[in-house]
Formats: sequence, C-alpha cells, structure tokens
Amino acid sequence: MEEEDEAARALLADGPGVLPALCDPSRLAHRLLVLALMCFLGFGSYFCYDNPAALQIQIQRDMQVNTTKFMLLYAWYSWPNVVLCFFGGFLIDRVFGIRWGTIIFSCFVCIGQVVFALGGIFNAFWLMEFGRFIFGTGGESLAVAQNTYAVSWFKGKELNLVFGLQLSMARIGSTVNMNLMGWLYSKVEASLGSAGHTTLGVTLMIGGITCILSLICALALAYLDRRAERILHKEQGKTGEVIKLSDVKDFSLPLWLVFVICVGYYVAVFPFIGLGKVFFMEKFKFSSQAASAINSVVYVISAPMAPVFGFLVDKTGKNIVWVLCAVATTLVSHMMLAFTLWNPWIAMCLMGVSYSLLACALWPMVAYVVPEHQLGTAYGFMQSIQNLGLAIVSIIAGVILDTRGYLFLEVFFIACVSVSLLSVVLLYLVNRARGGNLNYSAKQREEIKLSHTE
Amino acid sequence: MCGCGEPRWAWGRCAPSPMLLLSLLLSAAPFGLLGEETRQVSLEVIPGWLGSPQNLLHIRAVGTNSTLHYVWSSLGPPAVLLVATNTPHSSLVVNWSCLLSPEPDEGLMVLPKDSIQFSSALVFTRLFEFDSTNVSDVAAKFPGKPYPPYPLAEFSWNNITDSLDPATLSATFRGHPMHDPTNAFANGSLAFRVQAFSGSGRPIQPPRLLHTADTCQLEVALCGASPRGNRSLFGLEVATLSQGPDCPSVQEQLSIDDEYTPAVFQLDQLLWDALPSGFMQWRPVAFSQKQRGRESALPCQVSPLHPTLEYPLPQSPIVRAFFGSQTNFCAFNLTFGASTGPGYWDHYYFSWSMLLGVGSPPVDTLSALVLGIMAVALGAPGLMLLGGGLILLLRHKRYSEYQPIN
Repeated sequence: MEEEDEAARALLADGPGVLPALCDPSRLAHRLLVLALMCFLGFGSYFCYDNPAALQIQIQRDMQVNTTKFMLLYAWYSWPNVVLCFFGGFLIDRVFGIRWGTIIFSCFVCIGQVVFALGGIFNAFWLMEFGRFIFGTGGESLAVAQNTYAVSWFKGKELNLVFGLQLSMARIGSTVNMNLMGWLYSKVEASLGSAGHTTLGVTLMIGGITCILSLICALALAYLDRRAERILHKEQGKTGEVIKLSDVKDFSLPLWLVFVICVGYYVAVFPFIGLGKVFFMEKFKFSSQAASAINSVVYVISAPMAPVFGFLVDKTGKNIVWVLCAVATTLVSHMMLAFTLWNPWIAMCLMGVSYSLLACALWPMVAYVVPEHQLGTAYGFMQSIQNLGLAIVSIIAGVILDTRGYLFLEVFFIACVSVSLLSVVLLYLVNRARGGNLNYSAKQREEIKLSHTE
Repeated sequence: MCGCGEPRWAWGRCAPSPMLLLSLLLSAAPFGLLGEETRQVSLEVIPGWLGSPQNLLHIRAVGTNSTLHYVWSSLGPPAVLLVATNTPHSSLVVNWSCLLSPEPDEGLMVLPKDSIQFSSALVFTRLFEFDSTNVSDVAAKFPGKPYPPYPLAEFSWNNITDSLDPATLSATFRGHPMHDPTNAFANGSLAFRVQAFSGSGRPIQPPRLLHTADTCQLEVALCGASPRGNRSLFGLEVATLSQGPDCPSVQEQLSIDDEYTPAVFQLDQLLWDALPSGFMQWRPVAFSQKQRGRESALPCQVSPLHPTLEYPLPQSPIVRAFFGSQTNFCAFNLTFGASTGPGYWDHYYFSWSMLLGVGSPPVDTLSALVLGIMAVALGAPGLMLLGGGLILLLRHKRYSEYQPIN
C-alpha cells in the first residue's frame, strides 16, 4: 500500500498533464468514477431484495410453502433492521470506519444471498429464511454507508444530484430484478431439464452475482477512498449520526404522527409489491411477464419522478398538503385494485406517482419537528419502526391471503393507508392548532429564516 | 317438453315486483334478516325391487308452496334429475319393473304432472385421464394426450344407505370400475357426495359456495386411484338435457370477491333457460388435498357445451324414464389441474364442488366484515377532518372576538 501511495504521489508531482483525469481524486472525472461505483454498490442489495416477489410462484411451488411462509422471507429481512437502524451509523463511525463498514455490510449481503440460494438447492426453507436474515443484516446498513460515502465525496458539490442518482439506481435494480428473474428461472429450467428447488437455488445463485459486483464496488471504493485520503488529506467519511435513545421521550406529538403516517403508508406499499405479481396474474389474468412489468411500475415511476417532486415540494412548501394528496391518492389506487376490474395500470401508475410524492414530502418533515441534535435519533427511530411495521405486516398479509383472499388483503391495506390518512389529518389539525411550521409555504419559510438571521 | 312455464313458484309469496326485488336483495344479503327461505328437507333411499339394493336417492325439499325433487342415482352412469313443482304436496313415483327394463319410459314420475314448473338432468358419463407431461404451456386449453376414459356406467357403486347422514342431509356414492385389469382402483375410488340444505349458508371448506334451500351440493372426489402416468390430469364428462335446438352455454363471470375462495376471481354457471329456471354453479377450482387451501388449488377448465349426436352417450335409466327417449343431450368436459403446479399426483387426490339448484343462482355479496372495515377506514378520516375543522373554526372565532383589544 505504501509503495502504491508513493507511486501516486510521484505521478501527481509530475504535473497535472501526466496523470489522467480519471485517476486524480481532485478532478470531476475521478469523482464520476467514484459516483458510478457508489451507484453499483447498492445495486446488488436492491436487486436481490425483491427476488422473492419476482419468483413468488416458483418459490411457493418448488419449496412447497404457502403464502404465509413465503412472506416470512420479507419479514426476516426486516427483523434485524428494527435494531440495526439505530446502530448502523454508530458501527460505521466508531467501530468499522466507512471503508471496512461498507465491505463488511457488502459481505453480509453476499453471504445472505448465497445462503438464501443454498436453501433452495438443499430444499431447506429454514435456510432460505436464515439467508434473508443475514441479507437484511447487511442491506439497510449498506444504504447508510452508501449515503455516507456520497456525503464524504460530494458535500458542497453535487450532493443532491448524487442522492437522486443513487435512489434512481436502487429503483432500477428493483425493476431489473422484477423483469429478469422469471426469465432467468425459465432459462435455468431449460438447461437443467426440469423445474424444482435446484433450479430455484441456481437461479438465485446467479442473481447473487449482482451482490458480488456490489462487493467489488465496495472494495474498489475503499481503495479509492483511502488513496484520496493520502493524496488529498481528506478525512474518512462519517455519518455524524448521534443516536440517543433517551431522546425518544422528548419526541413531540407531530413527530409521532409522522411515524404513524410513515408506517401506515409503507406497509401498504412494500408488502403489496411483494405479493403483487401473482395478484395481477390471478385477478387480472396477466401473463407472467406483464405481471412483472406492472408490479415494477411503482419503482419505474419513482426513479425519474422523485427528483421532480423533490424540486416541487422544495419550491412550494406546504408539506402536509402534499403528504395528504399522496396518501389519499394511494388510498384511491388501492380501492381501484380492490373493488374494480379496471385496467390495473391506472391504479399502479397512480400508486407510483403518489409513492414518489410521499417520499419527497414526508421525510423532510422530520427536520421541521425535531431539534437538529435529535435528528439522527428521529430518523433512526422512523426507519426502525418502519421495519418493525414491514415485518409484522408481511406476516399478517401472508396469513390473510391464505385464508381470506386478495379482496380482504386489499381491504387490509386500505385500512393501513386509512390509518395513515387519519394521522395526516390529525397532524394538519394539531399543526394548525399549535401554530406549527409544518405546512408553511416555501415563501413563509424563507421569511422566517430571514427574520431569524436578522 | 315440460318445464318451460313461468318460474312463479320460486318466489312463492307471489309478491308484486318491487317486493320481489326487495326480497331478492334481502335473500342475497349476508344477514338474511328477512325473506330467507327455508325448506323441510328429507332424504330417502327408495327401496329396490325384490329386495335387491338399487341406489336411488330421493331428496325432497318442501317449501310453503313449492316442492323440489332431486333424484340421484347410480343406475347406469351417476345422474341427477331435478324437478321443481308449484305445490307442497307433489310426490315421486317409481315403477321399478319399468325402470329396470330396457324401455324405462314412464318408470319414474313426479305427480301431479301439471304441477311441474321446471325439470332437467345431469349425467356424469366418463372420467377422463390425460398425460400432461409434454404440455409446456400452462395456459394451453389442451390438457394432454388422453388415456382411454373410464366409463362411469361400468362402475360398481356402494350401497348409499350406509352413507346416508340425516344430520348433514348428505349421502355418498362411492364406486370403482367393475372391470379393472390394471388394478388402478385397487386402493382407490371415485366418490359423489351429495348434500342438501334446509336454509342458506356456506360450508367451512373452500370453495365455500353460497347455498340456499333451493340448492343441492355435489362434491366429486377421486381418491387413491393409481394414475397411468407421472403427470396425469383428470377430467369429467357431464351431459345435460338441451331444451331447445342449441346447447345452453357456460357463463364465466369475473368477480372482485375472492374472500371465500382465495385467489379465485371467477364463477362459472350453466343456466338452462334464459328465464331463471335452473342452474349449475361452480368455482373453477379443484383441490389436491383433503385440507383445501390455496397451496392445493388446481385450476379447473371447462369446455363449451356441444351436442352429443356424433357418439352414443351411455343412457341413464332415470333420465330416460322421466323424460322419455325423444331428448337431445349436450355434453361438456371439466378438466382439473395443469401440467405444472400441484396436481393429482401429489397425494393421489382431487375434489371439486358444484351447486345444482332451481331459481336464480345465489349471488355473492361483500361480507359484513369487509363492508364494516371499509366504512370505518373511509369514515374515520372524513369525520376527523370535519370535526377537527369545526373545532378549529370555533376556536378561531373566539380568538377573533378578542382581536379588538389588541
């Protein structure tokens, strides 16, 4: 390593013309290379997160499990993150450092996916569940590490764009997975000669290549980051998150309401997508490919729309109104899916748009209702209970589907969104009654900022 | 041909049309507060001739001013006659010597004849078996290479008296081929479980078809028979009377409601007349395990009805006896399962249920639980907005009253 650094310094000393821009950490070209690595760092985990949704029929058939057990694959992903959301930042800052942290979390993702695939090959569903548990241990923390890298390299430069691109890449990973895995399974089936748990395991193992790619990105990033540190005397990136669990008792009513909105909303979107493919095949008689396509449309829409809505919400303010619109639209789209036989593309596009809008309007609200020093705790808590909600609702959704069918499942999701809607209304009223700042327009915010600085 | 009259008996209260609509609505409602029709149902095995046991089951469902007769028999192929009369006093008359003769016409009658409002019959003629190994397309209509079918007329059936259960109003015909050279049915049997109902309700096990006192349920189950291939699909040929020149058609209704049969959004119906006269209703799903659930659900395909002029159908003596020889038959095939997914081969078992009835087919409505949850889910945020808005408005007013002081 020392020798390499010497070589790099020697190269730099020769003058800027000699060193290609790609290798010079202070140049844009090099940062773009780093950006590409950062984007692909998350690709594997997002690709593999929705593997079960893309292969629901195959998993249930080959492993001979009902929907309740199938949904445990999602629940097991969420369980570790109920706790880890508090400690991801701590582990990165204090224990591993960003580089080792990223590598370790990437390894967890890889090992998790391999164990998941081995569960298929050995026809052991418990092993698949265990694989998802390991996968979950790495998955969410890897996202935190990814953001930390982004801040460390792009702070004060193109940071928002970088966040947007990372998010888009994540959605692309999910979309590619939805549309690729079914096809991959059929190819593996053709080459192995028959369908079965081995075919499933091999397919998942091949899907795991994306995790290996991500691990390679993590290693490359670690090397480049260390090299940049030596050359530019740049500090190692930190999340800067300070989590104090005792802060929880100081959380205000509006913050709790934001949590409820978040949980109520996300549990009606992600588990639905997890079960969506078969729903579109059974109720709307879609082909397997068409069902995959429509099931990924929420992700497809949110990739380009998230930056647009982010801009819109920034410019207009009035976050509560936007959240209200997003939650109400999702309620309408779930009702369309439940009670009509209309073309589900309408409902799913609505859901995609409202999902993107909600993400842009809801998450920034936390910053308005907690003091800055509690922000880390608040976000950690929000993610934690979101994961708790996802784990519990995944299990409930599976049980409902097995015993009462899709209509009742949709009604259950409608009830969840309705809890979210109720909280938005309550938040609006509480904010109004207390004269809170949540629903200020962008102009009002500007004025308040000015008066504070004066 | 009888049975083409106004089906007045079905709404025996002879109420004016708005009332009829109301009673229709109420009888379809899940609560069934009013207008729920109940019948006195009795099951009787008609004793055979000269003491020899013959399987002839008479289900008599008596209402306030109508009687339904369902006559199930395994003389020849398994068959059922359904006859609706507009009097509570109609009765079944069987002339065994005539019925068992080669010309059984008039061997079985419902009297008085002029009380008959509707009559029809179903005959289960053959059990098919297909080899689905080389069928790659799951959605293919063609189930696979057919094996020689089992003619159900050549089955021997148990004595139904033993399986008659007056508590559940049910009886089971269980049979196996008389000539079984391959011993396929050595440990297996084909069962037709017939159940009548005195009121409306749903069974506990899927497909949980909504039954009324006007209906009768048939459950067909093949159990333990060795299939002739690794991936054998089974099918059933059903023949029915055609009451006009054309065959009746099977309606495939899409519905949004799969609460009682998870993941099955279709309801198939065979209606004998344009008027609500008689129907056969089923969900296109069969099950490959006794514990029926989504993981053992098999798709059920139905072919269009076609006239059976080209090939001779095995005659059912009871149908011939009641309708005479001048009748046209139409047949259709039901196929259970697909080449992939669960199948008969998993547990050597499949079962399929259907309803047979007179009047309008029962209509599924959203359950009270679904309606209740929806009402709360949509009502609560609305009420909160309304109530909260009012309170805010009042508070605002009070504030503005103090305004002049500033």
